Amino acid sequence: MALIEIRELEKRFNDQRVLAGVNLDVEAGEIKVVMGPSGCGKSTLLRCLNRLVDPTSGTIHFDGQEVTGPMVDVRLLRQKIGFVFQQFALYRHLSVLDNVTLGLRKLQKLRKPDAEEKAMAQLERLGMAAHKDKFPAQISGGQKQRVALARALAMDPAMIVLDEPTSALDPVMCREVGELIRQLNSEGVTMLCVTHDIDLAQAISEKAVFLNQGVVSAEATFAALANHDHEATRTFFNRTKA
Amino acid sequence: MDMLGILQHLAGGVVYTVLVTLVCSLTGLAVGLSVATIRRLSGAPLRTVCDVYTYLLRGVPVLVLLFIVYFGLPGIGLKVPPLLAMALSLGLISSAYLAEIFRGALDSVDPVEVLAAQAMGMTRFQIFWHIEMPQMLRFSLPGMVNEFTSVLKYSPFAYTVGIPEITKEAITLTATTLQGAEIYLVVGILYFSIYRILLVGVRALERYFRVPGIASL
Amino acid sequence: MVNGWMAFSRDLQEQLPLVLNGLIETLNLTVAISISGLLLGVVVFYLSTCRSALIRQVTKGYISFFIGMPLIVLLFLIYYGLPQWGVRMSPFTVAFIGFTLNVAAYNAAYLTTAFNGMDATELEAAHAQGFSDGQVFRYITLPQVLRLSVPALTNQVIGNLKDSSVAFLIQYTEFFARVQELAATNFQFFKAYLFAALVYLAIVSLIVVIARMIEKRICIIG
Repeated sequence: MALIEIRELEKRFNDQRVLAGVNLDVEAGEIKVVMGPSGCGKSTLLRCLNRLVDPTSGTIHFDGQEVTGPMVDVRLLRQKIGFVFQQFALYRHLSVLDNVTLGLRKLQKLRKPDAEEKAMAQLERLGMAAHKDKFPAQISGGQKQRVALARALAMDPAMIVLDEPTSALDPVMCREVGELIRQLNSEGVTMLCVTHDIDLAQAISEKAVFLNQGVVSAEATFAALANHDHEATRTFFNRTKA
Repeated sequence: MDMLGILQHLAGGVVYTVLVTLVCSLTGLAVGLSVATIRRLSGAPLRTVCDVYTYLLRGVPVLVLLFIVYFGLPGIGLKVPPLLAMALSLGLISSAYLAEIFRGALDSVDPVEVLAAQAMGMTRFQIFWHIEMPQMLRFSLPGMVNEFTSVLKYSPFAYTVGIPEITKEAITLTATTLQGAEIYLVVGILYFSIYRILLVGVRALERYFRVPGIASL
Repeated sequence: MVNGWMAFSRDLQEQLPLVLNGLIETLNLTVAISISGLLLGVVVFYLSTCRSALIRQVTKGYISFFIGMPLIVLLFLIYYGLPQWGVRMSPFTVAFIGFTLNVAAYNAAYLTTAFNGMDATELEAAHAQGFSDGQVFRYITLPQVLRLSVPALTNQVIGNLKDSSVAFLIQYTEFFARVQELAATNFQFFKAYLFAALVYLAIVSLIVVIARMIEKRICIIG
């Protein structure tokens, strides 16, 4: 059974059907890339996973458990899904180290030395140990995204969800973050990445899921997507390639 | 009497001026923080109550509220001691101004950081306590300093309810020596000095809590 | 309680002319010091942008001292102190001078804050075009700075109205002084002061409404 199983997921905002019956699986250990034009519902899909947005209908099973019902412990669910944002979303009043330890101390109730040890291990892993005492304003965008990844990983999540992780970065940093995501996945971290950056997508995966007008319209290799029967899919992958 | 003699006479009042200022500032801070917190964390009805509170208290002169509390309330059976009367007038009025300062500062907190904390699994209160409030306090520092100095400058009203602070001592001294000009000049210098010392203290505090990338002062 | 209210409203009606007269005095003082405080504030602000370091230093000292000194002490100094040196003035004159000095310091500080936020290249451009210092101040700096400061300046007017109640402490028979007299006739202090608070609140609300209208009309696009 897949780690995440999304079935007929639907989300309406007023009259608008942002998600119109999405079906998607994410296997443990895999990296899944979801692409699509802006407004296709990519971000909403991610936010349904950890219930930042409540879906209108459909089901999501996470590790075999239904997560859309009212009886679900949403906060516990959220602790199991690491979320990385486009705008980094580091807490700017906290140092790099404190950004990573906050969740460990306040949510996992770790003692400060234990939390710091765990946080430092992740910062080492992402090459940010030397910057542990700096504040978000003092590091570059690429470094911020590394800290955001460390912050997510430190919580020992079952998977990491990335929402346009490179769209606020310059090309060099994009590549850097792409390599990092690939490396983490090769170390066994399950990831679901939403992006419209084809370079990033191809750097981290051979395949992509195409989300268009609220439904998954294709899932295939990039070459297959670029020659897809479905016109919108073909256009999207040829345009973004050029 | 020379300036030094006047200064010696008034020195006793300094303690009360500082006491009144501290009591009213702390009242303002505690209530102002509570109002800002309630306003941020609760639904529409309570939020409206908070807005009405700040609007009313910012629309009433300090002296008028002080007189309501100290001279008015006994008429309906509530006798209020002088220092408490100051806290319930000057202190509460400053709480309304501080609540407004905090409200503005909370608007400067990046919504994405709040979302990130939510995505991490924090409760609404944890988000407020660990993310919003620490940033809010840093953003509000200049406004808070203004408000505390404002409290200091309204503290002379305490003489009208019989607290022996600097101004009260000055009035008494003027009555016996008839040297009003020198006395009030010394009083002015005294307040100005307390104000400057307060500023130095706040600057030190600000340096201690300063975080790169969060502007204040 | 009901008797109390009836006694209060009866006395209020009896003394209404006096109370209204006091209210007019309050508004008189508020309007006068708001205008004089703004004018002097602009002068102080102008001097603070002056090329002479000495003048800048002096104006900085002026602003700092009057912001750091309680208004009431300034009023007492002029009202109870100066007669000792032969300078005697009416309560209104004392209040007018004291408030003006104080309010001008605040207004100058607001204008300075706005000035610091201004685009420096605009001023350079104006100088480069050949405008004199005085012309740059009149045509570029002041109009912008005044507009940017409208919220702060109107808050100051509200502050002036509320602070004008202090003037009764130097025997100026403004609104609050009249309310005191009213309270003294029937000992309904609570009701009298509450009444005063409501009147202040009403006028403050009126100023807020007018200020919003002004802000809407003169806001700079962009």
